[in-house]
Amino acid sequence: MVFWEEFLPALFSGIVATLKLLAVAMPASVVLGVLLGTVRVYGGKIVKTIAAAVVVVFRGFPLTVTLLILFFGLADFHIYLTPYWAAVLGFTLCGGSYQSEYIRGAIRSIDEGQSVAAKALGMSKTQEIIYIILPQALRRALPGISNELIYMVKYSSLAFIIGVPEMFSIAKTFNSQWFMPIEVFSILAIVYLAMTTIVTLGFRLLEDKLKIPSTT
Amino acid sequence: MSAGFIQYLPYIVEGAYWTFALVCGGLALGFLIGLPIAVGQVYGGKTVRTILNVYVWFFRGVPLIVLLFLFFWGIFPAIGLKLSALTTSIIVLGFRSGAYQSQIFRGAIESVGEGQVVAAKSIGMSELQSIIHVVLPQALRIAIPSWTNEYAILLKDSAICFTLGVMEILTRTKYVTVSTGIYFLPYVFAGILYIILTYAGTKVFNIVYEKLRIPGFIEGEM
Amino acid sequence: MDSDIVLKAENLHKSYGKVEVLKGVSLEIRRGETKVIMGPSGAGKSTLLRCLNLLTKPDKGRVWLENVELTNPKVNINKMRVKIGFVFQEFNLFHHLTALENVMIGLTKVKKIPKKEALRKAKETLLAVHITEDLWDKYPAQLSGGQKQRAAIARALAMDPVVMLYDEPTSALDPQLVGEVLQVIKELARKGVTSLIVTHEVDFALEIADEIMFMYDGRIVEKGPPGEVIFNPKHEVTRKFFEKISKLYGVGKYGVLGRISPSII
Repeated sequence: MVFWEEFLPALFSGIVATLKLLAVAMPASVVLGVLLGTVRVYGGKIVKTIAAAVVVVFRGFPLTVTLLILFFGLADFHIYLTPYWAAVLGFTLCGGSYQSEYIRGAIRSIDEGQSVAAKALGMSKTQEIIYIILPQALRRALPGISNELIYMVKYSSLAFIIGVPEMFSIAKTFNSQWFMPIEVFSILAIVYLAMTTIVTLGFRLLEDKLKIPSTT
Repeated sequence: MSAGFIQYLPYIVEGAYWTFALVCGGLALGFLIGLPIAVGQVYGGKTVRTILNVYVWFFRGVPLIVLLFLFFWGIFPAIGLKLSALTTSIIVLGFRSGAYQSQIFRGAIESVGEGQVVAAKSIGMSELQSIIHVVLPQALRIAIPSWTNEYAILLKDSAICFTLGVMEILTRTKYVTVSTGIYFLPYVFAGILYIILTYAGTKVFNIVYEKLRIPGFIEGEM
Repeated sequence: MDSDIVLKAENLHKSYGKVEVLKGVSLEIRRGETKVIMGPSGAGKSTLLRCLNLLTKPDKGRVWLENVELTNPKVNINKMRVKIGFVFQEFNLFHHLTALENVMIGLTKVKKIPKKEALRKAKETLLAVHITEDLWDKYPAQLSGGQKQRAAIARALAMDPVVMLYDEPTSALDPQLVGEVLQVIKELARKGVTSLIVTHEVDFALEIADEIMFMYDGRIVEKGPPGEVIFNPKHEVTRKFFEKISKLYGVGKYGVLGRISPSII
């Protein structure tokens, strides 16, 4: 019974650490995704190339590699990020790059007439993008975005490799002291399942709320 | 920063063999699990569907690293299996990929029009025959693009197996960084290696896809 | 320039690849006038209209709005477009906004009018096109074609433009919905709204137009009062065009011509 008395509070602190990570990385990745996706559709040649390069690199590198580069690799250049910030940056870059593809596709799927009508009203390109295109594109990209954010909840477990004291690292440490892997990792699995299920349901509600009503 | 790590690059590249073992093993096992699950989810009765849904929910909802540790340190030893890190990794990757692949195949099966099955039955085929001879050949072709994506995902996920010590690309890269004290370039090299492998594999799948393509058939449209 | 001339175009040319769609078109429209452009498909009518507010950039030629040359690159075209109301064949209402929001967005975001005043103006304009309060909170997907187009007219009209351009406003509508839209355009024209309309609706043109411009193969072939151009044209192509209509559709309100479907020409 002593195990549980010690494990559960420790696990709780791990959950808090995970949430702290996600609370910043999730919105940041969406912002980055929108930025990259928009720039890749509307930007000038130089900006487009830079954005494309970012997306290719951070979609192509495994997340583990990205995290290791940010934490250990940058140290070669005397840039020392804390585990927390390296993790946040890593998730933002990786998640944002994946999301930018959904957003880019969604923007391109908006019919041209919307853009022409905005111009005819005297809107500048920026106004057109912010008030007409993005509100519609983001709705269309929402399933993809929510999918990526759910992945982020699960992949947050990788933050342990650069020393963030989140859920998985706590469980791992506990297991190496108490040698009860089935209990420890099963509980952990259940916590992750609960988190992903809640987030999934949350996004489904959001999608319903944001849906544009039609007669069908 | 000395470039002393360059002599170790071949050592890192050798890890590709283990990486491929993980990826191919995982994909193959995932296929063998995923396709039956998909068929069961589309054609099965309520109990079957519920069990399969739980499987899918579990293996998609739990992070890979938790699954790896749960099976390697917990479940397999508990049932008396003494499996290597590589074997365990392939099995876990396979179970997990099976869950994801089942959804790919399920979508593909469901997008094969109802008319195809009805036509098959009208010439006397049983449900099973119509599935094997009419639905699956079309569904599998429809599934290839998504399946190619699954390959790309699995390739990146294989890197996570370094936590169990499998001698694949990332594990080796880590050893190199620790022994040379150079971190940035080796990891970037590893990343680029993964990108090359992703690109090469995707190209192969695209060639296969083109070869298998039914002329004039637009996937999913009737 | 004559202060009464609201919109003027001089020698407009436009090519798409090797095909020259506009071959030197000039026109002008005075305050309060209603002019109609007619002609077969491919004559360049839509292209002409889109060149007038620079939605399409002409290769050659100039356009003036009141006294400002729109084709001058130094001019802020967005500010100028506020003064031109454009109504599209495919409506192009913003899908994610209600009818009321569609009319308001130009007022609040482009003209920077405070929300309260924009709301009042939007409601006023919607009522002017006979869109009643029960439809104001509906999204375009919930409206009929005729309601959508009238809302689109309201969206353009609420900006208080000096001229309204209509690009085949009823061509995408089911026949039974055409009348309600034409009715609105007629009322606005009679109230003095300067209007330039591309349409195939001959009866409508006869009723409302001060002048008809007949376009053929990228040029304005002839223009004049509706009665003359339709019943007593000077050019062979014009005669042939209007004859075809009467042959295909038979007798209409004015004894000779009826409405025609664009695809027949």
